[in-house]
Amino acid sequence: MGTFIQLVVDGLSTGSIYAALALAIVLVNQSTGLINFAQGAMAVFSAYIAYVFVGWGVPTILAILISLIISFVIGAVVERLLIRRFEGGDPDTAVVVTIGLLTLFTGICGWLWGYNNRQFPSLFPLDTINVFGAVISVRSLGTIAVLVAIMLLLQLLFIGTKLGLALRAVSFNPTSAALSGLPVGRLLMVGWGLAAALGAVAGALVAPQLTLTPTMMDTALVYALAAVIIGGLNSPIGAVVAAWGIGVLENLGAVYVPFIGHDLKIAVPFIILFVVLLLRPQGLFGRKVVVRV
Amino acid sequence: MSQVSDLLRRPWVRWLILLVVAVVLAVLPLMLPVFVNQTLTRIGVYAVAVLGLNIIMGYTGQIMLGQIFFLGVGAYVTAYGVVNDWNIVVIFIAACVIPALLGLIIAFAAARLGGLAIAMVTIALPIIGVPLAKRLSDLTGGSQGTSARFSSAPDWTGLYDDQWQYYVVIVIAAVAFALAYNLVRGKYGRAMRIVKENEAVARSMGISPYRYKVMAFTIAALFGGASGFLYMVAVQYTSPETMAFHHSISLLAAMVVGGAASIAGSLIGGIYYVLVPQVTNAIDPTITAISQGVILVAVLFLLPGGLVSLPRVIRRIFRRRSGGTDQTPSPQPTPPATQAEGSETERQA
Amino acid sequence: MTLLELEDVTASYGNVQVLDGVSLSVPENGAVGILGANGAGKTTTLRAISGTVRTTGRITFEGRDIRGLRPEQVAKLGIAHVPEGRGTLGQLTVRENLRVGAYLRKDRKAIAADLDYLLELFPQLRQRISSSASALSGGEQQMLAVGRAVMAKPRLLLLDEASLGLAPSTAKAVYEAVQRLRKDSGIAMLVVEQNANLAFTVVDSATVLETGRNVLTGSSAELKGMDEIRRAYLGG
Repeated sequence: MGTFIQLVVDGLSTGSIYAALALAIVLVNQSTGLINFAQGAMAVFSAYIAYVFVGWGVPTILAILISLIISFVIGAVVERLLIRRFEGGDPDTAVVVTIGLLTLFTGICGWLWGYNNRQFPSLFPLDTINVFGAVISVRSLGTIAVLVAIMLLLQLLFIGTKLGLALRAVSFNPTSAALSGLPVGRLLMVGWGLAAALGAVAGALVAPQLTLTPTMMDTALVYALAAVIIGGLNSPIGAVVAAWGIGVLENLGAVYVPFIGHDLKIAVPFIILFVVLLLRPQGLFGRKVVVRV
Repeated sequence: MSQVSDLLRRPWVRWLILLVVAVVLAVLPLMLPVFVNQTLTRIGVYAVAVLGLNIIMGYTGQIMLGQIFFLGVGAYVTAYGVVNDWNIVVIFIAACVIPALLGLIIAFAAARLGGLAIAMVTIALPIIGVPLAKRLSDLTGGSQGTSARFSSAPDWTGLYDDQWQYYVVIVIAAVAFALAYNLVRGKYGRAMRIVKENEAVARSMGISPYRYKVMAFTIAALFGGASGFLYMVAVQYTSPETMAFHHSISLLAAMVVGGAASIAGSLIGGIYYVLVPQVTNAIDPTITAISQGVILVAVLFLLPGGLVSLPRVIRRIFRRRSGGTDQTPSPQPTPPATQAEGSETERQA
Repeated sequence: MTLLELEDVTASYGNVQVLDGVSLSVPENGAVGILGANGAGKTTTLRAISGTVRTTGRITFEGRDIRGLRPEQVAKLGIAHVPEGRGTLGQLTVRENLRVGAYLRKDRKAIAADLDYLLELFPQLRQRISSSASALSGGEQQMLAVGRAVMAKPRLLLLDEASLGLAPSTAKAVYEAVQRLRKDSGIAMLVVEQNANLAFTVVDSATVLETGRNVLTGSSAELKGMDEIRRAYLGG
């Protein structure tokens, strides 16, 4: 029983990291209609920025907040300068552009900081607590708490504020929103900025565990993409639930299904993805999408 | 300039050029140093891989991030066959057919799903492939990989090893390119392009998008497997690292930079894939990734058709300078009626 | 005083020319109709004003040249466009749609008062205030679209084919509400309508477009009396 609880909690914790990245991907998709394959690499770059500030003696939490703000700006600038041109066009071309960004950001990290592993300080103390015989790390609980807090904040933003309303309006129908005077371009930049900030949180949460390298979030990206598709491309809740599900099932699968084991547990999200898509092509929480000729 | 393009249009001129190129290619390795031959050989290997990728992604428009997996499978099949003393022809056929079969099965299941789902399935291939290769160590030699020395030059040819490898790869690659050229020029190529353009339109014309996606995917896998065999000819060693996911990204970048939906572009892609890292690694290994990123983004912005479209673009610039009418319509904002209706635009799941 | 003036405006989509020299003017507090058959360029004229299509010619609003401005900028100047097809933000609720309309405004109390006024003008909307806009009927969505535009407190309202797809009684109800709106607020209006009868219940004058050009202009009374209009647009 103890092991089970441990696996579930740890699974929710890693799932929360996928969830943060998945939320970023959903946000970008909602506002600009494309899937950002570089979301993970941008998150890594944000983590490196925080690392630099920590190296200059700034307390960890402050360094992360600073990197959040810088990431917001970078995300907004990337949308305006690099992505804007490809919005509303062929979505596959846009994907290739984001893959180009992926290479670019990874390359920048590698060029500036090399490919060796760097130690990133943990936000949370390395203690553990004992619950029903399970040994649970404070860090796992902290990660889950951060994700829940993020979700509440996003909900507050989107439902309760004028900016959130504007972001939603623009994501559903930018031309119509413009007719009411909404500054569409600026709002798209905000969308990307927010997503980049979300990525920065994900990066900061996972870096202590995985150690900081340019390719640190490549796997997390794949998990996040799977979560987004499983949850339904346009559903933030769906993405989070799916991400948690992937995190937990992956852990359980590794331990309880000997065939999978730890080396093949990466197959779990894909198996889930395949099954869900075959049964329900629009994802668990998604809406059916109309195709126009 | 127009006289040159008129001249190029005559069929006998094209055959002459082809003959000259063939002769040059045949004579080259006898004169060049080992290192250059090896580089040219590797270009041939990856050009075939990019060619396969182009067929499914460039021509048929499906995002495919798993081409390196099929190369890896082809390489492993080759290694296994060599280690178990199969006939070389059988090895080659197996290296092509087994990945093709895998591609067929995967495509059967995945092609019904939307574009992004197909992309995810193709991502799964190398990502699951690498740990799988490590696990199935009886077949694959595990993390150590397998060595297969089989492409030493036979005595009767009197060639050096690197020259023999060069000839084997170039000949097979040439055949692959010729086959692909015929495929895309013919009715299959046209059908694939229509499927890429708009599936609903394709369906209304009696073209089944599903069938063509499966076909294109299988062909891509077949070319991938063939390139895996060629890889073994050139390198004579394979390991799980051969099919690592980041190679798939590099192949995709090479395809885009060379020229999507272009046979010649695939060759340029192969050249790009091999040469750029060689050059950047010689200067400073840490700039390799960032240079590739910059080049890819630059190409997407400035030359979306890839390097193969450079002559066309230059010609257009000259035509505009000399006051000729520019054929391309200037971009107009799309009439917002369709969007203003509040209807959902197509989003591929 | 002239609020809006179009002079010799052309517009094209790609290589297809849709407007071939359209001129009209809307006086302050006035209401002008744009009539004509399908494809005459009526909708495109409105799009030319709100900046959603590229044009040549002169378009001035309150004396200033607005041609070439982006839609957001045109909206900021006080022009509210109710587009063809209504442009409802389907996934938002009725209340949220109306709030989006008031996006550019900062006067909270006045916004709340205007919201109340609109819900009184369109009682069906009050009933469905928390429903998702996509769940509304065609007529209700049209009312919502008009309401959203009015929430911006515009000086000029562009109304595009408000009767499209609606049952005759529903269309009549919408136009009655628009009439009341005009009386209560004095907003100037430019109304595009295929159904000339409906248009004449609101507008003081109109221009008839054919293949992108004005072919007839006059007061509602004059036009109603003309045989051509009667035959072509009023059914005999």
